[in-house]
Amino acid sequence: MSAPSTPFLLDFFPQEDAKFTRVAPFFTHLREGRLTTTKCPADGSVHWPPRVSCPTCHRDQLTWIDLPKEGRIYAFSALYLGLPLGMEKEAGAVVGLVELGDTGLRIFSRIVGKKYEELKIGDPVRLDPFPLPDGRVFYRFMSKV
Amino acid sequence: MRKVALVAGGMATWGIRPATWSDLVQEAGTALFSSVPNLEAKDVDSLFVGAAQPERLAFQSHVAPMAAELLGIRPTRFIRRVELACASGQSAIHDAYAAIAAGLSDVAVVLGVEKMNLPSMAEATTSMANVLDRAWDGVHGGTAPPFFAMVAQRHMQEYGTTPEQMAAVSMKNHRFANTNPTAQFYSKTFTLEKLLGSPFVSPPLRLGDCSSMTDGSAAVLLVGEELARKYTDTPAWIAATSQYSDFHNLANMPSLTHWVGLEKAAQDLYRRGRTSPSNVQVAEVHDCFTISEIIEYEELGFCAKGKGGAFAADGQGDLGGKVVVNPRGGLLGCGHPLGATGVGQAVEVLHQFQSKVPEKRLVSGAREALTHNLSGSANAHTLTLYRREN
Repeated sequence: MSAPSTPFLLDFFPQEDAKFTRVAPFFTHLREGRLTTTKCPADGSVHWPPRVSCPTCHRDQLTWIDLPKEGRIYAFSALYLGLPLGMEKEAGAVVGLVELGDTGLRIFSRIVGKKYEELKIGDPVRLDPFPLPDGRVFYRFMSKV
Repeated sequence: MRKVALVAGGMATWGIRPATWSDLVQEAGTALFSSVPNLEAKDVDSLFVGAAQPERLAFQSHVAPMAAELLGIRPTRFIRRVELACASGQSAIHDAYAAIAAGLSDVAVVLGVEKMNLPSMAEATTSMANVLDRAWDGVHGGTAPPFFAMVAQRHMQEYGTTPEQMAAVSMKNHRFANTNPTAQFYSKTFTLEKLLGSPFVSPPLRLGDCSSMTDGSAAVLLVGEELARKYTDTPAWIAATSQYSDFHNLANMPSLTHWVGLEKAAQDLYRRGRTSPSNVQVAEVHDCFTISEIIEYEELGFCAKGKGGAFAADGQGDLGGKVVVNPRGGLLGCGHPLGATGVGQAVEVLHQFQSKVPEKRLVSGAREALTHNLSGSANAHTLTLYRREN
C-alpha cells in the first residue's frame, strides 16, 4: 500500500490495515468481492458497521457473516452543493440507503451507474467494491436498472 | 432540587461575519453584560461554553479557558466546553442547570459560539461530514443535506408532503427573521416563487429549504432561585429538560420519517414538566431544514403523525396558530452557528416572556415555551421547557 495522499484529518476513508483497525477482515473480504459484517453468536444480533464487541450483550467473541450483495434503494438523494473537500468535483453524485435483502439492514452508500433523476425508490442495486488511488478498497452500489 | 432561572441573554449579530472565533465570544459577552447592569464578572462562578467544532473550524481546542479570559470571568466552580454538534449550546444550558439545581453553582454564564465561514467552504463542509459516522456514512458524502433530503423524500412518499408545504415553513421563518436584527437574513426578503425556484442542494431540498453556514454567538445568565430577582423582574424558569439518543450510524435509525427519539424526549419533557403540547405557546425548534420543522410539529405533539405539512401550510405554527414556532426566525432565518443556536433560542424565550421582542413576533402573554435541538442525523434530541411563573 502506498502512503495516503490525503492528510489523515481530511481523509474520509477508514484505515483498513490490521495495524490500525480490528475490523481489517471487512476490507480483506471486500477485496474478495464480499460484503461482510459481524454477528454475535450469543444473542444473534447482526451489527452495522462491524464491531469488536456486541453492543447488545457486550460479549467480544463475534463471527463474520456475509451480507447480500444485492439490495434495493430505500431512499436517495444527490450532492449538488456544499460538497466536502476532495469531493468537490463529484457534484451530482448519488447517495442513498440500500436495503439489503431480508436482513433488515439499510446501509448508506454512494450509488453509481445512474443519475439522480433516472432513479426511483425500490430500484435494484448491486455491490461494487472499488479501489482507492492509494491502494485501499471501499464499497459502493451500482444501479442494476 | 433548587429552582433555576434564566435571567439575562445577549446576542451577537449572526451571518457571514468579518470576525474571528474570539471576536464572536467577546461580542456575545458584551451583549450579555451590557443587558444586565447588576452583573459583575467576579460574581460568575461557572462558565459553560457550547461549541461544536472549534478544533476544525477555528483550529483551537481548550476553548473554555480562552473564552473565560475573553469575558474576564475566573470560574471557581465549573469551567468546560460542551459538545453535542448542533445541540452543543442547549446541552451547555442543561449542564449549567444541573450544576445550579444541585447547589454546586449559583451564577453561571452559558456561551454558545461557532465560526463556520472559512476561506475554504469545502474545508468547512468537510467538518460537517464528520458529524455522521465519518468512516461509514460521511465517507460517501453523508452530510446533513443529503440525509435530510432522504427524510423529505420518504415523508413526501409516505404522507404526501409537498414542496409548497415545506416552503411555507421557510416563508414563515424568514418573515420572522425580518423582525430580528441579529438574524443572518434580517434584511433579505423571500417570495414563495424564489424559494421554490432556488437551486437544489440535495433534491428534493433546495437552498430555500436549508439553514446556512453561519458565524454567531450568544450568551445567557442562569442563577439559583434566590438570586433571580437581583437580575430581572421576569425570569424564565427551567421547568424540565430531556434528552434522548437512540442510534448513530444511519443503518441503525428506526425510521427516517418517524423520529421516535424525539417523540420519547418530548413525552419525557411534558411528563417531567407536568404539562402537555397544548399548553406550549412558543416553541423554538430545530429547523435546520424545512422538513425538520414539519416532523418536529408531529413528534412534539402539535399535530398528528404525517400532518406536519398541512400544519405548516395552514399557518398553525405561525402567530394566531396553535403554537408559535420559531418566532426568532429559526435556523432558516437566523442561520445556524452550531454551538450558538441553542443559546440563541433560550434568549428568544426569555425576551418573549419579558415582551422585549418586536410586536411582529411577540407572543403576547406567553407563559410556557420549549426549545428543541436535534443533532447529527436527528439521532439525539435536546429539549428544555421554560415557564414564566415559578
